[in-house]
Amino acid sequence: MKIIKKISTAMAMVATIGLLTTASADKLDNIIKKNVLNCGVVLDFPPMGYFDKNNKAAGFDVDYCNDLAKALGVKSNVLNLTWADRIPSLVSGKTDVVIGSTSDTLERAKSAGFTYPYFVFKFQVISKKGAPIKTFDDLKNVKVGAALGTTYESEYLAYAKAKGWGKSNYTSFKSENDAYLGLYQGKVDAIISTNTNIATKLQTKEFKDYIAGPFVPNYDDVVGIITKRSEVAFINYLNLFLVHQIRDGKLEAAYQKHFGTSAPESLIKSLRDNK
Amino acid sequence: MDYEFHWNVVINAWPQLLDGAFVTLHVSVLSMFVGIIIAIFLALGKMSQNKVFSYFSNVWIEIARNTPALFQIYMAYFGLGAFGIHLSPYFAVFVALVFINAGYLAETFRGGFQSIPKTQYSASKSLGMNPYQVYRYVILPQMFRKIHYPMTNQFVWSILMSSLGILVGMNELAGETQRLQSLSFRTLEFFIAAAVIYYVITKFVLFVANLVSKKLFKGDI
Amino acid sequence: MSLFTPLSWGDTGFIFQGILNTIYISVVAIVIGSILGLIIGFFRAESGKFGNMLIGGVLDILRSVPLIIQLVLFTTFMGVAGFPLDPFVAGSIVLSLYTMAFMSEVFRAGFESVHDSMVTAARSLGMTYWQTVRYIRTPIGLRAVLPSWIGVALSVIKDSALVSVIGYMELLRTSEQLISRTQQPLEILIGVGIFYFIISYPLSLYGKRLERKMAL
Repeated sequence: MKIIKKISTAMAMVATIGLLTTASADKLDNIIKKNVLNCGVVLDFPPMGYFDKNNKAAGFDVDYCNDLAKALGVKSNVLNLTWADRIPSLVSGKTDVVIGSTSDTLERAKSAGFTYPYFVFKFQVISKKGAPIKTFDDLKNVKVGAALGTTYESEYLAYAKAKGWGKSNYTSFKSENDAYLGLYQGKVDAIISTNTNIATKLQTKEFKDYIAGPFVPNYDDVVGIITKRSEVAFINYLNLFLVHQIRDGKLEAAYQKHFGTSAPESLIKSLRDNK
Repeated sequence: MDYEFHWNVVINAWPQLLDGAFVTLHVSVLSMFVGIIIAIFLALGKMSQNKVFSYFSNVWIEIARNTPALFQIYMAYFGLGAFGIHLSPYFAVFVALVFINAGYLAETFRGGFQSIPKTQYSASKSLGMNPYQVYRYVILPQMFRKIHYPMTNQFVWSILMSSLGILVGMNELAGETQRLQSLSFRTLEFFIAAAVIYYVITKFVLFVANLVSKKLFKGDI
Repeated sequence: MSLFTPLSWGDTGFIFQGILNTIYISVVAIVIGSILGLIIGFFRAESGKFGNMLIGGVLDILRSVPLIIQLVLFTTFMGVAGFPLDPFVAGSIVLSLYTMAFMSEVFRAGFESVHDSMVTAARSLGMTYWQTVRYIRTPIGLRAVLPSWIGVALSVIKDSALVSVIGYMELLRTSEQLISRTQQPLEILIGVGIFYFIISYPLSLYGKRLERKMAL
C-alpha cells in the first residue's frame, strides 16, 4: 500500500509539474515545439519585402524572418500579408510575428506588441528631374501622391493641413506599387515614399530620370517587429534578437545584400537611440 | 476570442466616415443620372436601323455587361493613364460607373421600349407630336413606370460598386475606412461600422425610390 | 538587381494559374449558391409572412453591403475569432452566400410563377405535396428562370475578381502583380478583359436566346 501511495504521489507531482509547464508555455515555447516560425511579411514593399523575378518572396524583412527562425532553431515559413492583415493575422495565430515595416506609433501599440526598432526609414519625395521641387514646401504647387493609409500619407496630410494647403493636389493610391506606377505614368508629379524604396527604384532604368527629393521634415519612420500584445516574454526574446542582429553583423549583411552599401552609422545610431 | 473591441476610435473618426459616405452617395447619384441619359440613347441606337449606331451601341453595351466592374475601373485609371489621360480616382470610378450603368440600363430600357405597344407611337404621331414630344410625354413616362424596379436595383448596385474606389485610392467610404483602420489597426471595428453605414445608405435609397415611384406612378407598378 | 522586368513567356504559367483560380472559385460559388438559393427560394415561396421576413432580412443584408466589405469583414472576423481562413476558403464562403442571396430571389420567382391551377390539377390526380414539388413545380418553375440564373452566374464570375482583396490570387490580382513588375498596365489589362469577355459573352447570348424561345 505504501508503495502505491508513493507512486501515486509521484505521479501526481509529475502531472502537476507537467500541467504547470504547459500552463505557462508561451508563444516562444509553442514556436519551438511546433518547429516552425510563421512570419508575416508585406511583399509589396521593396527592398524590405517583394517578389523576385521567380515570383518568390525576397527582401530585408524576409531575411530577418529567416534569421529569427534560424536563431530559434526552427523552419521559417514566410507568409505574404496585405498591410491590413498584419494585426488580424497575429490575433488569429496565423502568424507568430510580423516583420512588416510597421511604424511603432503609440496608437497602434494599443493593439499590438512592438519590439524595439529594427529599421528606420526617412520619408522622402521622388519626382522627375527638373520638377520644381527644391524644398518640401514646394510640394504645394505640384500634384502629390502616396499610398493609402501609410504613415507617410498621414504625415504629409497633417503637414499640409497645418500649412493650410488643402487636399486638392493630393491623390491616394491603394499600394506602394500603384503609387510608383502612377508616378511613372505621370498621374502625379511627385510621390512620397520611403528612402529605401526610392533608392532601389532609382537604380532601375524605368526611373532613371527621377531623383530623390526633400525629406519629410522632422519625421523618422521607426519600425519594429510586432507580435501579440500579451506575449511579453516573446517580445523580450525578440528585443535581444535585434541586439544580436546588429552585434553579430547580420544587419550589415542584410543591408549590403538589399541596399548595396554598408549600413550607415546614422541608422545604427537611430536604432540604438530609439531604445 | 480574446479581442477587445475599442469602439471609441471609431466614434472619434465618425466625421471622416461620414465624409466618405457623402462621396459614395454623390458619385453613385451622378453616375446614375448621367448613365440614364446615355442609356436612353444607347437603347435607341441599338434598336435603330442605322448600322453605325446599332453597332456602336452594341459594342458599348456588351463590353459593359461582360467584363468585371473592377476591370473597367482599372482601365479608366491605369489603362487610360498609359495614353497620358489622367483621371483622378474619383473621376475614373465615375467614368467606369457611368459606362457600366449606361450599358446595363440600355438593355433594360430597350426591353421597356419594346414592351410599349407600337400603337402608342403611331397614335401620338397622328396627333401631330414630333419625335421629341412623343418620347417625352408618352413613351418615357410609361417606360419608367415599368422599369423603375430594375433602375432602383442599378442604383443600389452603383452604391455598392463605388466601394471599389478603395482599389484606386479614392476617398469614398471604403477608402476612408481603409485609411482609418490602417492608422489604428482597428480593422474589425471600422469595417463593421462601414458595413452598417452602407446598409443604412442602401435602405434609405430604396425607401426614397419607393416613395418617389409611388408619387410619380400612381397607377399600379 | 532589376525590379522591373518586362512580360515574358515565363509568365504565362502564372497567368494561367490565375485563370484557373478564377474559374475554380466561380464554379464553387455558383454551385453552392444555387443549391442554397434553391432551398431558400423554395422556403420563401412557401412560407408565411414571418418566416419570409426573417430570411428576407438576412438576405437583405447580404445584398446591401458591398462584396469587398463583406470579404474583409469576414476574413478579419474569422481571424480574430481564432480560425484564420485561407483566402480561397473565406472567399468561397462569402461569394457563395452572396450568390445564394441573389439566387434565392431567382428561384423564388420561379416557384411562384407556377400557376396554382397546375398544382391543384396535380393534387387532384392524387399526388402528394412533395410529389407536386418534385414533378410539377420544380421542373416548370426552374425552366422559366433559367435565363435569370445564367445572369446571376455570369455576375458571379465577374465578382470573383473582388476576392483578390483578401489575397486570393485570381486572374485580376495576378495581372496586378505583373503590372507592377512590368509597368505595362495597358497590354495586360486588355488581355485580361478579353478573357472575361470570352467567357461571359457567349453565355449571355445563350441566355438571351433561351429567353426569346421561352417568350413565345
